Amino acid sequence: MTMQAGLNPTPLKLRVRAIETLAPRLKRLSLASADGTALPPPPPGSHLTLTLPIDGGRTRSYSVVSPTHERDAYSLIVRHADRSRGGSAYIHHHLAVGDLIDSAVPTSQFSLHSLARKHLLIGGGIGLTPLLSFLHALQIRGRALELHQICRADEADAFRGLLEPFAGPDIHLHTGRAGLDLQAILSRQPLGAHLYVCGPEPLMTAVEAAATSVGWPASAQHQESFGASGGAPFIVRLARSGRDVAVGEDESLLEALEAAGANPPALCRGGACGECVTVVIDGEPDHRDHFLSVDEKASGRLVMPCVSRAKTALLTLDL
Amino acid sequence: MNDQGIKSRPSYRPLSLDRTGRRHLLVCDGTPEAGAFAADTTARDFDERWTISPPLLSGFAGDEKTGAPSDRMFRGETELLARLDHRLKTEQIGLRLYATGAEPFLWRVMAVAAEAGMGRDEVRLFAGRPGPRRVYCNHCGAIAEGVVANVATCPGCGAALFVRDHFSRRLNAFAGIKVDAEVPGDVPAIEVLYA
Repeated sequence: MTMQAGLNPTPLKLRVRAIETLAPRLKRLSLASADGTALPPPPPGSHLTLTLPIDGGRTRSYSVVSPTHERDAYSLIVRHADRSRGGSAYIHHHLAVGDLIDSAVPTSQFSLHSLARKHLLIGGGIGLTPLLSFLHALQIRGRALELHQICRADEADAFRGLLEPFAGPDIHLHTGRAGLDLQAILSRQPLGAHLYVCGPEPLMTAVEAAATSVGWPASAQHQESFGASGGAPFIVRLARSGRDVAVGEDESLLEALEAAGANPPALCRGGACGECVTVVIDGEPDHRDHFLSVDEKASGRLVMPCVSRAKTALLTLDL
Repeated sequence: MNDQGIKSRPSYRPLSLDRTGRRHLLVCDGTPEAGAFAADTTARDFDERWTISPPLLSGFAGDEKTGAPSDRMFRGETELLARLDHRLKTEQIGLRLYATGAEPFLWRVMAVAAEAGMGRDEVRLFAGRPGPRRVYCNHCGAIAEGVVANVATCPGCGAALFVRDHFSRRLNAFAGIKVDAEVPGDVPAIEVLYA
């Protein structure tokens, strides 16, 4: 199935039911269906793609933190990004209770491995959000788990509050990475454990390196990045139409393509699902996804526009 | 008549160490045959070797302490698989498992590994020349052991089964389908293919 970006065969109309400030830069939203009907169940690890009234309507994806069985409203936690590309700033400063938002049906590209003998969850900052939905699912299924969450000292109370419903000997909150011995945690896990990491890129890189060094197989390591982040501006040339589109430093390649009316298929918008894979004709991609293999990345023939950028001033795509 | 080319038929490569692992356990159904290991690999490269060595055939008395700590002998497959099951369920991540021997043994090892949560990228298997097959009767569900020909008689329902290359990892058996199901009486010449 292919899907046009920004279009969804079954869009949802949501109404903001509540906005709660958890910390100066963290807000929790409760979004109910506008007509009061039950919402489609959000699978564990799923995200909701909202259409927000910024730049005439842009889509932004946020993890659903409420459990799958809660169908009267979706709960999201949104951090005001230090360099917001508009989405989190809008939610923090303008969104109000009662507002209506168009949304896609929640989908998950970051799913629990049902055959795992134990689930090891490592989160950094707001990367806790998909892990919260995992905690709900694992608690209901009664599965073995261990969670390590890293947060800033000034937000420890907010994160402790989020983890309070799951508190126990296997739930650990760390203020900063200093006291966290990743290698020790990763090496003492039972055979058959699966690892899920969500957080800033340096944390994910460090966890992957530590896991690989103690013998974790690639198939048991799962990551979800925060999705698009900026970089140096560049030009993307659409080979089929010969058009040039400028990609600004604070927008993703996919967003620039969409703004120009070229709507490549896209789904997760976080470099995980592979839906937006595009053929590169010329120029060198700056790969930031978790979908292409090492060999595919090295070949420079494919790029994931949702998160990746260009190392060269001009990138020519088969679009 | 032999429908080669079915992709579910496993293919095997000579065993070499998976360097992404931290500990390496090799289980062998008897002495590994020549060609079981890649050119740069010998049985000594594995941290531990577990070998099935039936006492009457090998003179092995069943005392596991006779060998070096890294070498363990087992009286039979049942004993080895039971110990392996216990071992894997108390193991930590980083172990890689290797198995060599007859094909049905390999997939019984794989089933134990999967039960312990190991993925396909944590286990390497090597079978030498194709030996007798286990054949699953698609009509009654019985298993025929030690099938060497292209047609076998089902021990359950008595049907004459054509042995396909379609291999089920879950059942650890090749699919057997009534040999003249399409055209009654159309039976191919019997050939010994899997001895």
